[in-house]
Amino acid sequence: MFLFLARRLLGAMLLVFAVASGALLLAQLAPGDYASQFGHSPAEIAAERHRLGLDRPLVERYTGWLERTLTLDFGQSFQYRRPVMDLVRERAANTALLAVCALVVATLIGIPSGVFTGSRQRGAAVRAVRGASLVLLSVPPLISSLVLLTIAARTGWLPISGMEGPRHFVVPTLALALPIAAMLERLQAQSIGDVLSKPFAIAARARGLSHARIVWRHAWRQSLGPILAVYGVVVASLFSGSFAVEMVASWPGLGQLMFNALTVRDTYLVAGCAAAGATFLAIGVLAVDVAHALADPRLEGTHGA
Amino acid sequence: MIGPDVSQRIGFPATALVEGRRYPLKIKQIRDFGDWPSNWPVSSRVGRQTRQRLAICTLLLAAACGGEAPPARPAPTGPVRGGSLTATVRSEPSTFNRFSPGGNSTPVDLVTRLTHATLVRLNRASGEYEPWLAEKWTASPDGRVYTLTLRDGVTFSDGVPFTSADVVFSFQALYDPAAGSPLKSGVLIQGKPLQVTATDPRTVVVTLPAPFAPGVALLDNVPIYPKHQLQAALDAHTFGTAWGAATPPGSMAGLGPFVLSEYVAGQRMTVTRNPHYWQKDAAGVQLPYLDRIVTEFVATQDAEILRLQAGTTDLMTLAEVRPEDVASLRRLRDQGSLQLAEVGVGVDPNTLWFNLTPGAAAQKAKPYLAQTAFRQAIAYAVDREAIVNTLYLGAALPISGPVTPGNRTWYSDTAPKYAHDPARAKALLAGIGLTDRNGDGMLDDGAGRPVRFSILTQGGTIRERTATVIQEQLRLAGIAVDIASVDAQSLFARFGKGDYESIYYGFQASAFDPAINLDFWLSGGSVHVWNVGTPAAWEKTIDELMQRQAAATTLAERQRLFAEVQKVFGDNLPAIYFVAPKVSVAMSRRVGGAVPVLLEPKILWNPAMLYATGR
Amino acid sequence: MRNGRGLPAAMPAIALALLIVVAALAPTLAPYVPARQFANYPFAPPMRPHLVDDGGTWHAPFAYPVRIVDPIERRYAEDRTRRITFADDGEPWFLLGSDALGRDVLSRVLAGARLSLGIALLATLCTLIIGAAIGAAAGYLGGWVDAWLMRSADLVLVLPTIYVVLALRGALPVVMVPAQVFAALVVVLSLVGWPAAARGVRGIFLVERRSEYAEAARALGAGPWRVIGRHLLPASRGFLAVQATVLVPAFVMAEATLSYVGLGFASPTASWGAMLLDASKVRIVAEAPWLLAPAAAIFVTVFVVHAGSAGRDPHSGDHNLG
Repeated sequence: MFLFLARRLLGAMLLVFAVASGALLLAQLAPGDYASQFGHSPAEIAAERHRLGLDRPLVERYTGWLERTLTLDFGQSFQYRRPVMDLVRERAANTALLAVCALVVATLIGIPSGVFTGSRQRGAAVRAVRGASLVLLSVPPLISSLVLLTIAARTGWLPISGMEGPRHFVVPTLALALPIAAMLERLQAQSIGDVLSKPFAIAARARGLSHARIVWRHAWRQSLGPILAVYGVVVASLFSGSFAVEMVASWPGLGQLMFNALTVRDTYLVAGCAAAGATFLAIGVLAVDVAHALADPRLEGTHGA
Repeated sequence: MIGPDVSQRIGFPATALVEGRRYPLKIKQIRDFGDWPSNWPVSSRVGRQTRQRLAICTLLLAAACGGEAPPARPAPTGPVRGGSLTATVRSEPSTFNRFSPGGNSTPVDLVTRLTHATLVRLNRASGEYEPWLAEKWTASPDGRVYTLTLRDGVTFSDGVPFTSADVVFSFQALYDPAAGSPLKSGVLIQGKPLQVTATDPRTVVVTLPAPFAPGVALLDNVPIYPKHQLQAALDAHTFGTAWGAATPPGSMAGLGPFVLSEYVAGQRMTVTRNPHYWQKDAAGVQLPYLDRIVTEFVATQDAEILRLQAGTTDLMTLAEVRPEDVASLRRLRDQGSLQLAEVGVGVDPNTLWFNLTPGAAAQKAKPYLAQTAFRQAIAYAVDREAIVNTLYLGAALPISGPVTPGNRTWYSDTAPKYAHDPARAKALLAGIGLTDRNGDGMLDDGAGRPVRFSILTQGGTIRERTATVIQEQLRLAGIAVDIASVDAQSLFARFGKGDYESIYYGFQASAFDPAINLDFWLSGGSVHVWNVGTPAAWEKTIDELMQRQAAATTLAERQRLFAEVQKVFGDNLPAIYFVAPKVSVAMSRRVGGAVPVLLEPKILWNPAMLYATGR
Repeated sequence: MRNGRGLPAAMPAIALALLIVVAALAPTLAPYVPARQFANYPFAPPMRPHLVDDGGTWHAPFAYPVRIVDPIERRYAEDRTRRITFADDGEPWFLLGSDALGRDVLSRVLAGARLSLGIALLATLCTLIIGAAIGAAAGYLGGWVDAWLMRSADLVLVLPTIYVVLALRGALPVVMVPAQVFAALVVVLSLVGWPAAARGVRGIFLVERRSEYAEAARALGAGPWRVIGRHLLPASRGFLAVQATVLVPAFVMAEATLSYVGLGFASPTASWGAMLLDASKVRIVAEAPWLLAPAAAIFVTVFVVHAGSAGRDPHSGDHNLG
C-alpha cells in the first residue's frame, strides 16, 4: 500500500509539472500574448512585452519558471501583479467550499435515485426520475444556472451573487450538483441493473432475502466500479471550478480566474490554475481508487501504478 | 435624483477660464470597447462641450426626467450628508497605481477618481475646465506658459500638506521611462512632454513645448500623487510596481473625496470619506456627502443589471444600459424603484475599416478592396435602419462618419452622408469593374472570381451581430462576406501583423476635442488603424489640417478646419460608420446628485456630489 | 429482456435512424432561409397555427400576422383581420418565434440539426471508441501500461482545452469553410473527451477480467482478443451508453464554447450551441424563452440516444425482484 501511494504521489507531481508546462507551451503557440491588448504603437507594445519578459526566448523563460516552481513559486500574474500561488490559493478555497457542497448534494440525490430506478424497471416513479435525469443532462450548465438565477431573482427567496452567507450557496450548488446528480443517477441505475442480473442476485432472492437487503447490502458495493471511476473526474472538474456557474453567480472561484487568465493570456496564472486542477485531479483519483479498493475486495492489488 | 444645474451644486464660480480660450479635447487611443468586456481600459482624456449647449441639454434632461418620475415617494429635499451607495464594476483592479502599465482599466480609473484629484477638472456636463487643485491660472501671451496657483490649506488624506512639489513629482513619475506609464502618451504635445516646475509651494509653471489650443486640458489626466509616500519608489525605479493590488488599503494617501478602506479580492472594494477633503458645496458643507461607496465586482453586464433590478446595488460604473434591457428597466422606473435617463447620442461608434496599408497581402489578390469606390458602395448598400431597428430596437442613429451628432461642438453637418441607395452602390461597383457576369446574383471581378471579403470581429458581442447584419445587407447587394469571430487578443494580434482584410471594432472616445485625439487622425498615430504604412495624399491633407486645427486660436476657426477634415475623411472613407447608439443610463432611486454624461464614467465622474436618499 | 415491456426490440434503433434521417433532411424542411433577417421582427413571439378563424370558417393551417407595436418593449400585436401561410413571402410566419436579428428560430434549429447533431454524434462515437480502446488496454493489461495510459488520460483531462484550441486556431486560416470547421471540431472534441470513458471502461475491465466467465473463457483457450471482444467489452456497453447520453449534449455546448475562441461556425451558419449561447441571458430566459428551442431539440436527441443505447444492453432486464 505504501509503495502504491508513493508511486501515485510521484506520478501526481509529474502530472502537475507536465500540465503546467503544457499550458506554457501552448500559450506560446497561440496568437497574441498579454502585451498585445495594449493597442498602443508597436513600440509601446514591444516595451511592455520587454518589461513583462515576454520577449525572452522560450527555453530561457521555461527553465527559469521551472527553477522557481521547485520552490513552489509559480511566478506572478500579469493582470493582478500578485504571486500566482496566492491568487490560486484564495480562489481554490472558495471553489473547494462550493465543490464539497455540490458533491455532497449530487451524491445524496444521484446515488439513491439511481439505485431506485436501476432496481426497478416499471413504475411511473421510475419513469419520472429517468425523465428528470435526461432533462438535467441535456440542459447545458450555463442555461441551468441561468434558469435557477432567474427563479431566485424573481422570487427573491435567495441571494443571487457573491459568497457571504449560507444562503448564497444554494443557487451555485444546485446549478453544479443537479447535472452531476443526473449523471450519477444514470450510471448507478445502469450499473446496479447489471449487477442485479447476475446469478447471485437471483439466487439470493430465491433464498428469501428481501429486495432492499439484496440491493443495498450485496449488490450496491459491486456496482460502484464505474461510478468511482468517473468520480475522480467529477471531483477534479468540480474543484477546478466551473466557469459558467461561477460567472453567472459571481462566485469568486478558480473557474472564473482560469477563464479570465486564458482570455487575456496571463500565462503564468494559467499554468498555476492548470497545476491546481491537476493536483485536485490527482488527489481525487487517488482517493477514489483507494475507496474502490476498499469497497470492492476483488480489486485488491490491481491498481497498477 | 438627477440634478438640474451643475454649477449650483459646485458652489464656486465655474468661470476661471482664460478669456476667450476654449479647451477642446482629444479622443483616446484604441481601447477595448466591445460588448462591455471585463477588462475595459479607459481613456485618460475627457471631452468638453460649450457650456451653453450642455446647460440646455441638462435642463432638457431634467425636464424630461422630472416629467417622467412618478411621485411614488416624497421628493428628496436635497443633499444629505451620510449614507452609502453600492456600485458594481466588471473587473478587478490589477493595481491601484494609475500610472502603472496595468492602470489603464476601468476599475483603476474608478478608484483614481474616487481617491485622487487633478489640477484642473473637466466638468463633463458643462464641458468646461474647472479649477480643482489649482485655484486659478493665467496664460502667457503666446499661450505656451501657464502659471497655476494651487489651493491653499489642502492636505492629503493622511494629513500631510499638499504643495507644488507633489505636482512636480507626479509629472516626473508620469514621464519616467522606468515607470512605463500608458498615460504618458496622452500628455505629450507633438511627442514632447510638458515642462512642469514649481516656483513656490503654491505656484506651478507649466510650459507647453508647442502651441496647443486645448492648453491646460491635458492636466485633467494627471492625478496628483503624494511625493512623501512614493518618492522613494521613483528614485529606485520601481514606481511602476508601487501601489500594487496587495497594498494595504488605507495606506495610500490621496487628494480625492474618498479613501480606499477595504479591498476583498474577487468580491468588492470600499472607499470611505476622506476627512481632509478640501472641497465644499455652495452651502459650505464639506464634501463628499456620502460616508462610503462599496464597489462590487460583478463579472457580466447581465449580472449587473440583475442586481440593479433586484435593488441590491445602486449603480453601475459603466452605467450605459443596452437597448434590450431598457424595456424591463422602464417598468421598474414606472414603479418608482429606478431612475432611467437618456443622455444623448453616443460619441464612440463602432466602425468597419479596411486594411489600406500599401502592400498588404489582402490587396494583392483583391485590388478592389483598396479602392475608395468599393467602400463608398458598401456605405450606400447597407441599410442602416435595419441595424437600428433589429440590434438597437430603434434606440440608435444612422451615421456616416466618426464624429456623431452627440459631439455637438465638433459635429459637422457638411460631412458626406451615405443614405441607403442600392442603385448607386451598384453603379459604383460597376464603375470599378465588379458586375454579375454569370447571373448567379453575386458580383464577380474582372477575372470572373466572386467578390468576397472577410470581416474580423470580436465574437459574442454586439459587434459580431452588427457584422452579421452587414453581411446580410451586402449579400443583397451581391457581395459575399465571411465573418471571422475571434477573441480580443487574437484580434489585436492579427491586426498587429496586418493579417486581415477588414475589421469591425470600436474605439472608446475619451474626449470630444479632436486635437486631443490626434492619434486617430494623424497618419503616424497609434490609433490610425487603417493604414500603418506610407500615407496617401488625402491623409497628408488631413495631417496638415489637424496640425493647423490644434494650433488655431479661435473656436470658429478650429471648427471650420475640422469640418474640412470630416469632409475629406467622408470622401475617402477609410472606415465606414453605420450607427451610433442613443445612450441611456440607469441607477436606483437612492442615488441623488447624479449628472449623467456621455463620457465614461457616466455617473461616477462626480462622486463627491452624490448623495443617498432614503435609507 | 428489452427496455420496458411490450416495446419491440428494434424500436430504439429505429428512433435513432429516424433522427439521423430527419437531421439530414432538416434544411429542406425549414420554411425560410436560416440566414434571412426580417428587419422589422426582432424577438417576435411564436405564432400559433390556427385552423378556424374568428368567424368560424375552416381553412388550411394559417396564422395571424404580427406587427411591432413598441420596438423597445418588443411588443407585437396580432392583426386578426388577415391570414398568412408560408407561401406569403412578405410577412413571415414564425412558428417558433424569431431571434435578435429577426431570423426564424425554427428554420435555424432545423438547419443547425445537421451540423450540431453531426458533430455531437460523430465526436461521441469517436470518443467512445478511443476511450474504450484505451480503457480496455489499460484494464486488461494492467501494470505499467495501465499506469502510463491513465496518467496520459489525466494529462488530457486537466490541460485547458481552450488553450489547445487557441493554439490550433492560430495555425489555421482566418476564414474556414464549414466542412473544415466540422472536421476540426470533431477531432478536437474526440481528443479531449476520451479520458472519462477510458477511466470507466478500465474500471469495468479490472473487475470483469477476474470474473468467472472470463477465467472460464481463458481456460478454454480463448485468446485475449476474443475475451475482450466477446466478453469484456459487452460488459462495458451499459457504461458506454450512459457516457453517450452525457457526451452528446456536452459536445453540442462545447462546440459553442469553442466558437468563443474562434473555432466555430461563422455567422450566419446556424448551430444549436451558438444559438443557445446567444440565448444564455437572464433576460432571454425570462422574456423570450422560445430562443431556448435548441435545448428542447437537444433533449429529444439525448432521449433518443439514451433509449437507443440502453435498449441494446444484454444485461439490462427485468430487475424487479420484489
